[in-house]
Amino acid sequence: MDVKQVVKQWNTVATEVAPVDYAVCGYDYDVAVTAGKIHELAEVMLQNGFYLVDLMAVDVKPAIEVVYQFAHVETRCRVMARAFVENNEIPTISDVYQGANWHERETRDFHGVVFVGHPNLEPLILAEEDVDLKPLLKDEKSILDVAAIRRVQPETESAAAKSEASKSQEQS
Amino acid sequence: MNVEALEDDRHHRFVLNMGPQHPSTHGVLRVLLELEGEYAMHLLPVLGYGHRCHEKIAEHKPAKSFMPNTARMDYLGALIYNQGYAQLLEKAAGIEVPQRAEYIRVITAELNRIQSHLLWYGAYLLDLGAFTPIMFAFDDREHILDILEDVTGSRLTYCYHRVGGVSKDIDDKFVSRTRAFIERLRSRYPMYEDLVNGNIILQNRLNNIGELTPELCARYGVTGPLLRGTGVAYDIRRSEPYSVYPEFEFEIPTETKGDCMASFLVRYRELEQSLRIIEQALDKLPEGDFMAAKVPKKLKLPAGDYNSSVEAPRGELSYYLVSGGSDVPYRLKVRTPSYSNLSTVPETCSGMLLSDVVSAMGSLDLVIPEIDR
Repeated sequence: MDVKQVVKQWNTVATEVAPVDYAVCGYDYDVAVTAGKIHELAEVMLQNGFYLVDLMAVDVKPAIEVVYQFAHVETRCRVMARAFVENNEIPTISDVYQGANWHERETRDFHGVVFVGHPNLEPLILAEEDVDLKPLLKDEKSILDVAAIRRVQPETESAAAKSEASKSQEQS
Repeated sequence: MNVEALEDDRHHRFVLNMGPQHPSTHGVLRVLLELEGEYAMHLLPVLGYGHRCHEKIAEHKPAKSFMPNTARMDYLGALIYNQGYAQLLEKAAGIEVPQRAEYIRVITAELNRIQSHLLWYGAYLLDLGAFTPIMFAFDDREHILDILEDVTGSRLTYCYHRVGGVSKDIDDKFVSRTRAFIERLRSRYPMYEDLVNGNIILQNRLNNIGELTPELCARYGVTGPLLRGTGVAYDIRRSEPYSVYPEFEFEIPTETKGDCMASFLVRYRELEQSLRIIEQALDKLPEGDFMAAKVPKKLKLPAGDYNSSVEAPRGELSYYLVSGGSDVPYRLKVRTPSYSNLSTVPETCSGMLLSDVVSAMGSLDLVIPEIDR
């Protein structure tokens, strides 16, 4: 697999493709897409031989973020694809990656995300009577803004530290 | 028998519940089988009987104190689950682990892997109707449990790997007992091979049953020995080397057919590879600390998301942590291998003889608590 070629393909569907420091974060690429494009991205992934590692949701403001993790069996290339739900809905990818079927049902259980086009969006992990429980949704007090869970780049971090240091010097 | 001819004959169909307490599901898994005589035309696994809200718990206490929970997901690969989680937090907080601790982690994790494979070996054959092998396998497994009990303090749900190292150093007794175990298990191979692997009944029960292809594995996210049984030499220890695995020589056993026999042989041969890793690690075991000097009591995780993947006995284990900057994770997702491996069953087992369904599901080496979490 040629990673450069794949990055080009991602760029045609994604809003942002960013390489990530594997040593710190444990994955290689961050691919942001809109909800409408996630199905197209999944097709690109499958064509290039990626397998679906995981699918999960994070409850943040302004909207729940669904994270798809892909990896490749030949080359080390671990990808986190992210999309925000629109009106609590996002298209299913279970017709491309059948493994997503259960992950999507689980995400429906825990966060109440509706996967449009899913063949059988019934409760999987939770009991049928707990269909409206959505246990992993955050309450008003603890929910964070999406900016608060993004990694601050080390350069800007050190720059911020420097500016703070200079500030404290001025004060002294 | 012609299965296609039966397909139309729907009025003969009946639904059978296999589980939640069926012995061959090894835990509380229920499978709804739509049977046509002895053929299972449709299968529907029903999960969640053992759901213990691990991910919810993780969001409500400091990240460090989630360590015991990891062992309770896959109770057979507990140390490997410990290791993956410790690495995740070390990555996030930027903690350096001493070399000796990394070696101890690898040795204990590989012992844990052998123990898991031995249990699978015995229990799988028990499912298939052979009672004796589980006695031999458990006999060997007891030795590992004794060795690990001495150093970790527990026999099953370990909490030995900690952020920054391990909780207790290993001593000479551990080393000599482990070396003795390596000798012992190697001396048992001829017996296992004579008794089990060449057995004609086993051959007939496993050959050409539950075939997987690399393409199907990619669609479902199947990893571990099942994927290696289809000819793909994919092992996280090699493809995304973690800890001190790059320092050891070991092979990744593969087979090509992708059936139950292939994954059976892959797991069996992995026993020897794990022994090789342990042997080399014991030879090279460095002196030094077993715990990092500075591990803050309150472990602040910088905002961002972190992923840590390790090779568990059943396949790829992935922890994904989202942090908002405090010491309590904002979200923790655990990707467990059995979950994805089991999700293939409705596709691969439809139209199979009921007895073959037991073969095929046994070869997945399921641990239900890690599926339900």
